[in-house]
Amino acid sequence: MWVDLAITFVKILFVLAITVGFFAPVLTWVERKQSAIMQDRIGANRADILGFTVLGLFHIIADALKMFTKEDFIPQGANKILHTIAPIIAVVPALLTFAVVPFGGQYTLFGKEVNLVISDLDVGLLFVFAIASLATYGYVIAGWSSNNNWSLLGSMRTASQMISYEVTMGLTIVGVLMVYGSMKLTTIGAIQEDFFRWGLFLQPLGFVMFLAASIAENKRIPFDNPEAESEIVAGYFTEYSGLKFGMFFMAEFIEMVTIGAIMTILFFGAWHIPFLPTATLLGWFDFFGTTGSNLIVMFIQVGVFFTKIIFFIWLQMTIRWTLPRFRYDQIMKLGWKILLPLSLANILITGIVILVLN
Amino acid sequence: MAYYVNRNIKMTWWERLYLPEIIKGMGITSRHFFVNLFGFVPYLLGAKKERPIMTVYYPEEQVQYPIAYRGRPVLAQNEDGQPACVACGLCEIACPAYCIHIEPSENSGKQNQYERWPDVFNIDYAICIFCGNCEEACPEEAIFMSDDCEISMLDRKQMLYTKEQLLTPVADLQKRIDFTRNMYAKWNY
Repeated sequence: MWVDLAITFVKILFVLAITVGFFAPVLTWVERKQSAIMQDRIGANRADILGFTVLGLFHIIADALKMFTKEDFIPQGANKILHTIAPIIAVVPALLTFAVVPFGGQYTLFGKEVNLVISDLDVGLLFVFAIASLATYGYVIAGWSSNNNWSLLGSMRTASQMISYEVTMGLTIVGVLMVYGSMKLTTIGAIQEDFFRWGLFLQPLGFVMFLAASIAENKRIPFDNPEAESEIVAGYFTEYSGLKFGMFFMAEFIEMVTIGAIMTILFFGAWHIPFLPTATLLGWFDFFGTTGSNLIVMFIQVGVFFTKIIFFIWLQMTIRWTLPRFRYDQIMKLGWKILLPLSLANILITGIVILVLN
Repeated sequence: MAYYVNRNIKMTWWERLYLPEIIKGMGITSRHFFVNLFGFVPYLLGAKKERPIMTVYYPEEQVQYPIAYRGRPVLAQNEDGQPACVACGLCEIACPAYCIHIEPSENSGKQNQYERWPDVFNIDYAICIFCGNCEEACPEEAIFMSDDCEISMLDRKQMLYTKEQLLTPVADLQKRIDFTRNMYAKWNY
């Protein structure tokens, strides 16, 4: 029992380290650098320590220092308690989602079955959406408690946009559920060992719609109406400064990672390499013994999983720096008039195909 | 001639699908991304290659400004080490921001002395708007816009340049002198 607890603890530490410790800070740098490179610029390179700039990576440290030393400002007439807890409500769901996200398969290490997921829930997929929609509260409370009209507008937009796109997201997931017949994320991942059963091929329409809906959920361009700089200053976090602002920022970047992870598991073959089943990989490294070969395969597959996540982050960044922002009515039109009927049609077609094939 | 923008463009069915056009656009941006990311590879292998990134590392790397660029105005210094200025005060009048201050001095009867010259010639760059009117007004080719724009200071008082600071040898300004002659001759002054 203590061993199980220790293993879970290590897994939690690993997930926290890789999201909060690695992805969230590095993505701030990636965002700047990738946008610069895409626009034929050089990008962040001025922060230096003793004359070394290292491609501008020290901007992360400079950012963190700036966030820590800035004044923590609460505007006059704001609800102090809600204003303080809103960023926490926004950032916690982004982290919690990772509790059910498997970042590797099952491995036998030292005679013990290790499942690389913190909590292997039977309703993992539902848990992800339940928690992800909780984040809306954080944004709405942030906008309301700031006592600022721009913030309130931003939070209203957030609420309506999240509700509109959650419908599409949920219905898209139904198609995936019908194909795989399971809500367990580990099972869905394990099924995709066969390259031709990747969600990308079984649910191509669902893939595109899920990508659009999840970017809308994360409120990034082209769906960044809730924080549209040119329209409503910064939306719901107009009145936030210092570390609280940093938490909203972190929530956005962690959500990018989460979206990447969910997309990878549902549509992109999870931790599997195409045409290389786990058994084959284990056979290659058989001469290291059971534990040794399992360890090597574990590192390879976790690496593959995070490479796929990085690809999806790259994709999201490319979309963000390519497309202009939608108008508000266009977002609603796209959500209710196009994506919702399409996702319903997707379910219908999937159902018919499954019925015919069986 | 006014331009009329046709805002009633009928999009084709393919364009209204939206997705192919997005992918096309993302193709363009990611092409730039990969060209810039791996653009140094042929350069390392010895190929002569144009740099696709146009950004300049400003303080370390500088570009040549075009000759028509209006930097800070300077006084032309002739071969005797004296300003070519005759202190007529036309630039002072032409200046829309009143940043030029001139106190003339004249020949007191000595031999081999200039007829008239500025005793004090101050330009306050904190006030100057770099319009180039002084250069245009000057009948003696004495004041010119240089290509120097790095005149930021920590103290406003330091931005008041005196005659000694303003003097620049004519040889350094030759290009600009030719340019102004060409330009104002065309306008038939």
